[in-house]
This record gives sequence, structure tokens and C-alpha cells, in this order.
Amino acid sequence: MTISAESITIWVRQRRCVLPSWHFSPRAVSWLQVSPLALILVVLFALPTVLFVVVSFFDYDRTGIYPAFILDNYRELLTTPATIRVYVSSLSFGVTVWAITLLLGFSIAHFLIFHVRSAAVRTVLFLLCAVPFWTSGIIRTIAWIPFLGRNGAFNQIVMHAGITSQPLDFLLFSNFAVIVTYVNLFTLLMVGPIANSMSKIDPALIEAARDAGASRWQTMVEVIIPLSKTGIALGSILVFTQVMGDFFVVKQMSGGQSASIVSALSNEIQAMEYPPASASAVVLVTFVAIMVACMMRVVDVRKELVK
Amino acid sequence: MGRSDEAGSAAARFDVELVAVTKRFGTVVAVDGLSLRVPHRSYCCLLGPSGCGKTSTLRMIAGHEAVSDGDILIWDRNVTDFPPLRRGTAMMFQNYALFPHKSCIDNVAFSLKMRGVRKAERHARAHKFLTLVQMEGFAERLPGQLSGGQQQRIALARALINQPQVLLLDEPLSALDTFLRVQMRTELRRLQRDLGITFIHVTHAQDEAMALADLVVVMDNGRICQMGAPHEVFDRPASAFVARFIGGHNVLPGPRGPIAVRADRCRLGSASSGSYLRGHVSTVEYQGTVVRVALATELGEPVSAIVPDHAFFANPVNPGEYVTLVWSESDAHPLGATVC
Amino acid sequence: MMVGGRSHAAGAGRGRPWTFYALAGLFGLFLLFLYGPMLVIYLLSFQGPNGGVTFPMVGTSLVWFADIVKPGQMANIPASFQRSIALATVVSLVTVVISVAAGLGFRRRFAGSGVLFYLAVASLVMPSLLVGFGIGLGFRVLGLDASLFTSALGAQLTWTLPFGMFAMFAVVNRFDRSYEEAASDLGASAWQRLIYVTLPILMPGIIGVGMGAFTLSYDEYARTTLVIGTRNTLPLEIYALISSATSPTLFAIGTVTTAVSFMIIGVTLWAIYRIQRRRAASAPSL
Repeated sequence: MTISAESITIWVRQRRCVLPSWHFSPRAVSWLQVSPLALILVVLFALPTVLFVVVSFFDYDRTGIYPAFILDNYRELLTTPATIRVYVSSLSFGVTVWAITLLLGFSIAHFLIFHVRSAAVRTVLFLLCAVPFWTSGIIRTIAWIPFLGRNGAFNQIVMHAGITSQPLDFLLFSNFAVIVTYVNLFTLLMVGPIANSMSKIDPALIEAARDAGASRWQTMVEVIIPLSKTGIALGSILVFTQVMGDFFVVKQMSGGQSASIVSALSNEIQAMEYPPASASAVVLVTFVAIMVACMMRVVDVRKELVK
Repeated sequence: MGRSDEAGSAAARFDVELVAVTKRFGTVVAVDGLSLRVPHRSYCCLLGPSGCGKTSTLRMIAGHEAVSDGDILIWDRNVTDFPPLRRGTAMMFQNYALFPHKSCIDNVAFSLKMRGVRKAERHARAHKFLTLVQMEGFAERLPGQLSGGQQQRIALARALINQPQVLLLDEPLSALDTFLRVQMRTELRRLQRDLGITFIHVTHAQDEAMALADLVVVMDNGRICQMGAPHEVFDRPASAFVARFIGGHNVLPGPRGPIAVRADRCRLGSASSGSYLRGHVSTVEYQGTVVRVALATELGEPVSAIVPDHAFFANPVNPGEYVTLVWSESDAHPLGATVC
Repeated sequence: MMVGGRSHAAGAGRGRPWTFYALAGLFGLFLLFLYGPMLVIYLLSFQGPNGGVTFPMVGTSLVWFADIVKPGQMANIPASFQRSIALATVVSLVTVVISVAAGLGFRRRFAGSGVLFYLAVASLVMPSLLVGFGIGLGFRVLGLDASLFTSALGAQLTWTLPFGMFAMFAVVNRFDRSYEEAASDLGASAWQRLIYVTLPILMPGIIGVGMGAFTLSYDEYARTTLVIGTRNTLPLEIYALISSATSPTLFAIGTVTTAVSFMIIGVTLWAIYRIQRRRAASAPSL
């Protein structure tokens, strides 16, 4: 009996059966896998944010808060000169610290990735940098006080070495102290992402650049910096937002000369004045969100991270 | 997964059959309505340039890639929607994919462990297969401690322990150096004959395909250009593409359309009667037993003559000389007009 | 992180360029800068019983170390330390499980993957106090009490999960899918594949995420401070100490923490060294 082409086709179609072992489509599996993360972020982050946006329009007095839709909180916030001053102050700290940590962090990352040859040594050096972070940031901030004070260690050393005869006053309870502390605390936030980006650069690219006659500086500008863009962007975002969101360092190290946005906010929270605190929070979040969005426009972080 | 069943195999018409199989990645068609029948216990090579769809085809047979259209039958069972486990196939991956955290014997015994076979028994069976690939001394080593050729043997043993009906190999020899490649080629052939199952082997190297295969399937752009026994494909290429890809041919214009002439059937001589082509010698390549003389002609197409070494050195030519390529009419094989 | 791997070092085998010495010098200075305040901490933790939190040292003593273990009026260090460890452990475990799952999930594009990604980024860069504020507000609205393993845990997760997620992205990107395909080829079900192949191969990265999350949680104070309830974790206890009565006890704590860190690192490195030596010894070289 000859088997015709059509009969084979029909027979073939009938024999097809879908097996139950493939009942989850790949997309459904992905959703299942990210659902805990999504749930937590929505419940613990998105919703609370919506909540304080809502509360920022509420009315309040000494006895409590009242649901309403008034813009008074925002008006008061945005029209007092103190607000502008504190934003300018925080922003200037933010930019200064960003610049310093960028230079410092980039150099250190460059050293660790491109100059240290042995992986073991690199790990050890990294660990050395990381160990201080196992001690609470609070303690490390406080430790600067005995170090930088008039009778502090630094002044003692400097006077003993004969560099100055008078103790240096500007070191502590000043903008200098704040910036030094920030740099101390946050440089590693720069080093990490930048080093990560740098380690992904194919060594052959650098050799090719040298081969084509590029000097070390040109190689850095033409090859290394562009290819570390993601790390630089990530580190910048982390450092900047940490500075803008800080309430502790400024209070301790500036001696009351400067305030930070968030410490003013926390005062309002202590006083249970939630609506103006919320308004302040919304303004800060919007501000930070705009800055971060600008930074992320420069580098498409998502594409780099989720390849 | 069943054992290689003689009766079952004999009852099925082919070991593997692809019926108008298509694979689309978005708008790109990687495999276009491919139909293929692989006979029992044969060594089949899918041969073609990179991007021709041969790996996609292999992965669809394995079940690692979903089929967009068409059917795949193995021993007359329609396995198109089956998961890899239930197809009766086993795959040897291009990078071997040996589990780096498991020893060689645990790698080989992995599929038995998945089926719940007890440790003593699965290790005993794994040992047998390690012996089959001559790696019995390496049972406790980690894959990272092995050379490429050794890793490949372990990957083979791991694939064969399930006694698949069809073994699928994705460019198994490309990572090896030339000497090892020839050695492993012989091993693969021997294994296929001893085990009596079908191998489907993807490669871009035509010498490999011709040495190993019972059935050569030349592919391009997701379609089959030609399939047949190696000597058939080599002696009678179906199209200009096949002639060029398979190598050792000159594609030349003939009186009634393009023809292919084997380069070793071309001589450097004088244009007496018959077919000839004039040109300048562009390169002379010594290859041991033969010398390849490449010509630059007005055709623009690469043309060469493969001359036995004694014949060449009797009448050597130098680059730049004006020579005549001669062949006989009977060696001219007319080519089809198909693009592929 | 990314330590290890192939060497990017310039001119391997040749002499060092001058930039090496310059950058090495900078690195050395940076370490000095990092450890400078740490040294102050170490020194002052041995402050005499009548000394304060600044120089000069009024004699030396171990009085402040003893103070740590005594629950004082102002602060109860041992209790808050236990709470910190407990919370950090829970945060670490939860972060690992959720981050690993999310890392695996993000391997494919799925509807909403962009939104979720940016939500995680937002959670990371949001000023910490505001996150705590939002959660605290929410708890108040719902009439719930803030406590260690509810609101504080939740607040810390908003910080550790994005970090964990990004770390897992890096780990998962390096993971070759052909291992998973080989496993399913050999008959592994999806679960078996996960347990016997995917997770073991990803394990070093997963451990890194766990340790990182533990550290982040242990040190966290900004997100936690508004939602901790009545019983403090260690950083918050320290914060309370500073506001009420600063004493060298703080520095003693810092010294102990550093000592413990070095010890843990030392033990881990030694353990890794031993494992590697044992592996190399059992397998003769090729």
C-alpha cells in the first residue's frame, strides 16, 4: 500500500499532542519569579510614597492631621527663604562630594583593576577598603570629632611636625568637616560600580589602543572612561542621593552652621507635623528624581545591567 | 526515554523525519519549510555556513527550540511538542556544558540521578560509559581539570548513558586542534557504528562532513540546497552555491549555463580542442601532495587548478604568468539555476 | 563582586609605568584616610575611666569595653546587638531568596519588567528617612504598631532588595544557559534543574548577595529609625547614646566590630585556602 503525502500530513497532525509537563509559559514563570520582589516593592515602597504624597495635601494643627486638599503646605515650603537656602546648601555639598568621590573613586578603581596584577592581592585590597564599612557609619562619623578638633589628633600631629603653630580651626564643625566625612563614607559607593564596569572591559581593547599609538592618557579618555560610563553613572547616583538624603552627618559635623533638608524634615516628624513633612518629602523626592533621571539619560543603566 | 529497540526501529520508516519545519525569530526566518528524512542508523551531517539555520534545526530536533511550524517525528512518533526528555534524543553541546561543580562520574550519571536510580547502580553504569569513551581513570576529576578533548569524551558519555535513539552533536569538533579533530572524527564514526544509532552532526567544515557522513545535508538561508551521500554531493553539486561551499570546484560558464568542474580535474596546458580558460597566475600554494594554482581571470570568480606535485614541478609556473586552464567536457557538471 | 578574573594590568611582565606608583601612592593615602578615624576609635576605646570622647587620653583602661556588656540606663548594647543580628539574618535570608528568584526571572523580557526595574532603582535612591517615614505613616494609618520584624524588616528590605537584585543580574549574566539545557536534555525536571544545576553553579554569587545583605542590614539606621518601634537595633542604640551621653563606649564598640570583621574575613580566607589546597592535592595536574 502506498502512503500518499496527504495521508501522512493528516496522520501527523492527529498525532500531535500537547504534554502537561510544559504547562507554564516562560513568561508566566518569569512573572512568578519576580512577584515577591514586585509585591514587596509595591507594598513597602510605592504605596507609602503615594501615602505621603496624599498626606502632603492635608491640613493640620496642634492636635492632629485632617484629610483635605490644600496647597498651603507647599506654599509655605516653597516661599520660605530657609528652604531655598537649605536646598542650595545640600546641593552644593552634593556636587562637591560627587566631584571628589568621582575623582578619588575612579583613580582607586583604575588602580585596582588595571595596575594590580594578582587577583589575590586585588581581593585583599578590596577587603581592606571594605572592612571599615562593617563599623557603623554613626561611629565613624563621630570619630572625626576627636580627630579634627582643636585638641584633636590631626592638629597634634601637624603642630608636632612643626607645620603650624596654631591649631587649625576650620577643620571641625565646618563645611570642610562635613565634606571630609561624606567623602570618607561614600567613596566606596563610587569605587564599587566603577571597578565593576572596568573589569568588564576586554583587555584586548586597551592593547589595540596602545598599538594604534594612543598614549596612556588618550587610552583612558578614549577607551576606559566611555566604557566605564555605567559604573560612573551608578556611583554618581548612589553618592548624590546619599548626600541629599543625609540627616546625620550634617547635624554632627557642621556644628549647626548648616542644615540638611532631611534633618529639617525629621524635626517636623518628631513634632508630628506630618503634612508639611510630607510636602517637604515630596519636593525632595521630585528634585532627586529629576537629577537621577538626568543621570540615567546619559547612560542607559537598564540596558547595561540586564543584558 | 526508551532503549534502542531493534523491532521498534525496523517498524518506523525513518529514524528522524522533519516535515516542513519552520523556525521564526520575530521577523527573521531561520529555518524555512525544511523537510528531511534521516534513514536508520545513519550518520547525517548538517553542513552550511554560519547563519544557515543548521544549529536551529538541530536544536528543534532536540527540543531546546520551539518549532514555529511543521512537525518533527522520531521513530514515527510526533515529538514536535515533547520536552527534550521524552524525545529519545540526547545532545552534545558545542561548549560541552559539563556541570562544573560535579565530578566527571557525577556528570555522566546525572540523568540517572534525575530518574531516581540509586547511587551505587548509577555509578556502576556511569563507569561503563566512561570506559566506552576511554576515560575510566578520570571519574573523580572535575571538568575544569580536563583538556578540551577529554571534556568532549565526558560529554559524549553523559549523552550516551540514556541510550538515545538519536545523538545530536552541535559543532563538536570546532574547538579542537587539527590533530585532535581528525582523531575524534574517527572515534565518532566508530562509536556510531558500534552503537548502531543515528548521529546528526552540525558542522561548517566540509571536510569533516564528507569524512563522517552517510548523508550530507547542505544548507543555506534556512533551506536545504542539496542532500545525498558525500561523493554524490561532491561529484554532482546541485547549484553554484553547493559547488563553491563544498570546495574543490571551479564554477565556470558553460555553453548551456553554468558548470562546475573539479579543480583536480583541471590542468594547466595549452588550449588545443575542448574547454579552456585563460588567466594570470595569482598564487601558487604548495600543499604537500598537490599544488594549488589560483588564477585571476576575467570572470572575477576564484578559479584554481589542483595539480599533483610531480606534475607541477615538472612544469612549474610562477605568479604573474599567463596560463591556460584546461579541462575535458566529460568533467563539466551542469549546475542547476537555484539560488541555494 | 568582580574581583578575580583575567588580568587587565598593563604591561604584564614588563616594568611598572610611573602611573602605577602615583596611583599606588594615592591608594595608600586613601587607606590612611579611611582608617584614620578608625585609628582614633581604636585608641580612644582604651580611654581611661575619667576621659572623654576627645583627646587627650586620660590614662588607659578597658573600662569602656566592660561597659558594652553591661546594660546601662541609657542603652542596652547586648540586647540591641542581638536584635541587630537577628534582623540582619532574617533580612539576609529573605533578600537572597527574593533576589535569586528575581534575577532568574529577569532573564527574559516580560511585560512590566521595565517598570519593576525602575521601581527598584527608585527604592534604592529614595532618601532613606523618607522611606521610613512613608512606612511609618502607613502603619499609623492602618493602626498597626511599628516593630522589629514587621516595619523595620520591611524598611530594610527596600534597601537590600535592589542591591541584591543588581548583584544577581551580574551573577546571572555570567551563567551559561547551556548548563540548564544540558540538564533538561538529560531528563531533569524544572525543579531538579534548579536544585542540582542552576543554584549550585550560582552559589558563590548567592553567598555574596547574602553576606552583602547582612552587612547592609546590620549597619542600617536611616531607614529603620522611624519604624523600629520601642526596641532598638544596635546602630539606633548608638544613635541614642550619642544624643544622650557620648562616651568612649561608642569607640569600644567600633573596635570590637572591626576586630570581629577581620576575624571573619581571616577565617573565610583561610577556609577557602584550605579547600583550594585540598582540591589541588587530590587532582594531579594535566
